Amino acid sequence: MPIQFTLNHHIVTVNSHPLTPLLDVLRNELNLTGTKQGCDYEGECGACTVLLDGKAIRSCLTPIACVEGREVITIEGLSIGETLHPLQEAFIETGAVQCGFCTPGMILSAKALLDRTPNPTPQQIIHALEGNLCRCTGYVKITEAVQQAAAVLRGEHLSNSTSAARDYRPLSGNGMRFDSFEKVTGKAKYAEDYRIPDMLHMKVGRSPYFHARLLNLQTEAAQKMPGVIQIITAEDIPGENGFELYSVAEPILPRIGETVRMRGAPLYLVIAESEEIAQAAIQQVECELQPLPHTLDVNEALSPNFPIIAGDSNILSSFEIKYGDLEQAFAASDLVLESRHETAFLEHAALEREALVGYIDEEGRITVVGGNHQPHNQQRYIANALGLPIEKVRVITPYTGGSFGGKQDPWPFTAVGLAVYHTRRPVRLVFTRQESFDASPKRHPYSVHYQIGATKNGNLTGIKVRIHSNTGGYDSGGFYIPNYALTAAGGAYRWQAVDGLAQSIYTNGPKAGQFRGFGTAQSTFALECALDELTVKLNIDPLHFRLQNCLQDGQTSFLGYPLAETIGYQRVLEEMRPHYLKFITEAEEFNQNNSATPFRRGVGLAGMWYRFGKAGSLKIEAHAELACDGHFVVYASAPDYGQGTQTAISQIAAESLGVDRALVEFINADTAKVPNSDIQGASRALYFVGGAVQKAVTTLKNAILGIAAELLDTPVEHLTLDDAEVCTDEQPSRRISLAIVAKEFDRIGKSRRVAEWFDLSDRVLLNQQIEYAPFFVTGAHLADVQVDLETGLVQVFRVVAVHDVGRAANPTDAIGQIEGAIVMGLGAALMEEFIPGVTTGFSSYQIPTFGAIPDIKVILVEVPSRYGPFGVKGLGEAAMLPSTPAIINGISRAIGQRIYSIPATPEKVLNAIQQR
Amino acid sequence: MQAITIFHPQSVSEVIQILKSHPGLCLFLAGGTDLLPDLRKRKKETHFLIDINRIPELHQIQVEEDQVIIGAAVTFAEIHQHPLIQERVTMLAEAALSVGALPLQNSATWVGNLVQAMPAADGAIAALALEAEVQIHSANGTEWRKVETLFQSAGVSAIDPSQQFISCVRFSLPQTSWGGAWQRLGRRSALTLPILNCAVKLEIESEIISHAVIALGPVAPIPTRARSAEHYLIGKTFDEQIVQQAALLAQAESHPRSNILRASAQYRKSVIPVLVRRALQTAWERAHQTSYINN
Repeated sequence: MPIQFTLNHHIVTVNSHPLTPLLDVLRNELNLTGTKQGCDYEGECGACTVLLDGKAIRSCLTPIACVEGREVITIEGLSIGETLHPLQEAFIETGAVQCGFCTPGMILSAKALLDRTPNPTPQQIIHALEGNLCRCTGYVKITEAVQQAAAVLRGEHLSNSTSAARDYRPLSGNGMRFDSFEKVTGKAKYAEDYRIPDMLHMKVGRSPYFHARLLNLQTEAAQKMPGVIQIITAEDIPGENGFELYSVAEPILPRIGETVRMRGAPLYLVIAESEEIAQAAIQQVECELQPLPHTLDVNEALSPNFPIIAGDSNILSSFEIKYGDLEQAFAASDLVLESRHETAFLEHAALEREALVGYIDEEGRITVVGGNHQPHNQQRYIANALGLPIEKVRVITPYTGGSFGGKQDPWPFTAVGLAVYHTRRPVRLVFTRQESFDASPKRHPYSVHYQIGATKNGNLTGIKVRIHSNTGGYDSGGFYIPNYALTAAGGAYRWQAVDGLAQSIYTNGPKAGQFRGFGTAQSTFALECALDELTVKLNIDPLHFRLQNCLQDGQTSFLGYPLAETIGYQRVLEEMRPHYLKFITEAEEFNQNNSATPFRRGVGLAGMWYRFGKAGSLKIEAHAELACDGHFVVYASAPDYGQGTQTAISQIAAESLGVDRALVEFINADTAKVPNSDIQGASRALYFVGGAVQKAVTTLKNAILGIAAELLDTPVEHLTLDDAEVCTDEQPSRRISLAIVAKEFDRIGKSRRVAEWFDLSDRVLLNQQIEYAPFFVTGAHLADVQVDLETGLVQVFRVVAVHDVGRAANPTDAIGQIEGAIVMGLGAALMEEFIPGVTTGFSSYQIPTFGAIPDIKVILVEVPSRYGPFGVKGLGEAAMLPSTPAIINGISRAIGQRIYSIPATPEKVLNAIQQR
Repeated sequence: MQAITIFHPQSVSEVIQILKSHPGLCLFLAGGTDLLPDLRKRKKETHFLIDINRIPELHQIQVEEDQVIIGAAVTFAEIHQHPLIQERVTMLAEAALSVGALPLQNSATWVGNLVQAMPAADGAIAALALEAEVQIHSANGTEWRKVETLFQSAGVSAIDPSQQFISCVRFSLPQTSWGGAWQRLGRRSALTLPILNCAVKLEIESEIISHAVIALGPVAPIPTRARSAEHYLIGKTFDEQIVQQAALLAQAESHPRSNILRASAQYRKSVIPVLVRRALQTAWERAHQTSYINN
């Protein structure tokens, strides 16, 4: 039966089944992919929000039959030609667009609000937008964008931005993200939006058990079903059935007789003409699994009688730091504090699930398109699995709706590679939200046991730390976690003696892997809370204490040797001081005036240090090219999944060249087109890839000026780039266009494309014990929290975040990343807890909504790095580290009891209160 | 997807006709926010749906001197955006604001919430406190039934949608000074099921409580009233001790369960008196505000 309705001001008719969700009609029948699906049609995330008769609704929950005769507006209907709606413009200008996946729904919810309420209060904005989840921005810039758009719509003159970003000059003079236009108009295509003719769909058969042995797998019956093209098992893997370099002993698919070690572990792949057929085929696969004893608990896994899950007695890896005389240090202490801290499994919960498409490209390469952190690594894993030379595989990075480490997992890439290899047709794999929860990597839960010594006047002496990290059923990049766990466990402080041991333990929990901070967030939480407790016991001021013990350049760090980069911790703490004093005074006043109420305020302080730059090569490659028409092309790999590398790298190139950013094109993260610039992780992109890009464009610029010098018959010292031309400084009219210089390159047979390396290996001596280079950033957060003593409910009212960023390449984005990180840390502190088999989606796993956000003030400190381009340092992951402990310290101070385990749910907080 | 017929009746009598001609076969479609997930998960199955959205009278909110009548197609957003509801039945607006988030409130209906029969359904808790009734139509005629008879057990409605149709909710506005209040505790402020919710109605004559209703969820398999606490309050004046005693009585007659995603039974039990006390306090204060004062 045809159903007619008005869509974006035009009348359309569709012939869908009447219960088809409006979302599917829009995306699949009308090919409007701006509206997104994020939560398995449960109405929990808001990515599917559209306007129905002017009201924001969940298009995933609205049957098309209910839309008959009514008016629908999607994001595609908001702009008129190239003219954007003020909301779209405001989102772009304020930096409210990061990964962009939540953006269409968010803008439409805001439009519904402003259409009804032209001058909304902050409360009204919260209420209107609280049903739209965002994981990147922390909602702060979105609020600013809505207020800015409201002012424009009211015809008001925009007052000068009060954003902290205005005090900093972005590199190249322009920090506005250039991909925001695509994202606010719904034009940006994410992997799930790709429509390829002849495309097949893949579903994954998964184990329902925490631990089981695969006894039998019969696929013949399923294979015969109409529409089923191929079923892939371990036997169909031509090359390596694993990710040897990435994950020890994790198969792509299990062989008969092998064990599968987590709930949701993949068993086989079904590829069919449609998702429904693939899903139905799974019911026809005969799979015999023998359940085995399982545990989710590290201690149980380590107990002598517990069966082996994997590894050596269920230990994946260990790491130690030991120096100095701990016994003597403790003997010289007036207090040795002992404490234990626990954290939970956490889920990245990026708004875009794992989504990939694969096909054979025009060169005959198996090509996989999907969000990732390192396309060359994914390329290698696919090639290994298929037994193909690496040039026969290509990985392309599309618009990606957030990752936070989750999309580093090679499994989806090898699965899609296998599917294309066997079927020779395009194949799509999209995880359901439940699959993403069950089977994608998580953050490792930690148990951290500290003994920390200090003198009575607050000098730190010795530290003993033991960390157990729960890596779940598989390694998944967790092998190196103990190294990171320990590194963060001592912080940017001076210690006389250190005895640290961290281990990654296998259990049958979900595989734990990369997640923003990579094992450092959990130990930072434990350390900064333990230090706070120490200051309470010693009755000394926690800020003063940190200043007293803070590490300076050149001093021996917790690792036992000095750092290779500048450390701005003292600056950070000093910047924090006035805010700290103000918050303390206000909290004391509040508590005095409200002693008869159940509310108490507490001020929490936490610092951090974070090792950025990560493992392996200190030598990173990038290319720069002069195009024939005279613009610049930069080639490197710094995948942008919302954090803004696509823009920031272009800014570094433009600034290094001294040209307008519009002249720089950045070809990014396509293995067929760019060199391997190593991994986008450990917040290394701006420093390392930016450094390589800077070198490449500088070398290119020198070559250009050299050739121009010949053409202009002028010494090279007198030449400069003036956007698309080379000109002389003495005679400005004497100039030539870069297009002409490009022609000259070709004429003399000189390549217009240069390769360069940013190589720190001779400048930084790698300690033989420690495999990773000692670059650290520091920061501190201050949290003003209120606790309801009768219910344990916590509200975070204000946060001040101070971060040393070296150089704020893109101040708006740096602030946006910090705001997002604060809110992510708030989630970990108060409400997030992944429980395997129980938390399967956004309704059971609660991430912060609009209503949770505190007033956030960000202060960027610039203590330039020695080696990074323009002095930049890493930021994206580091920004999260102090957030959780600052909030937890605030709670502890408000209630006068310590909180040792997160999330600090109302129940846990009330239990702590009632202990007194 | 399975073949399905969707009826779009334009009057209540048409609905009854369809129920008669398709006995035992139909389900209702109002906002669809519960129905669609239930169909997707196979919790419910049908080949016949009755879409009630094209019946004009079901979209009405009638606020009269002594009663309020809300049609079955009225959404939670329409309820909390209605100025008279905001002013005179604030507790109901607050409950409507608690459901999910605005885009869900723009589709979900109060009646839909009642028939989903969850033990802490915000609409059900508020309805209990308001001592609301629903009008039920079937092949046998029409009757009014109190809301508390609608719940059989957790998630199981006493209403059979294939035979019975609820057209509206009605509750009376007390003719004496009265106040209502809403309290809800959740892990976050939106898109979250409640750890506890509580709705209260107090009627007052000359500073003495003449009538009290305390509804709580989830403290039993169905939305529940704390009757001994209610009886205790009648004839009493309002002071700290009395309120605390009522709160403790409500706690004693509540039997919450542990839920790993929300809270343990012990925690829920310990905060029941806190929410009840705060709700009673607010209800008392509202009873002294002009929009609530009668005579």
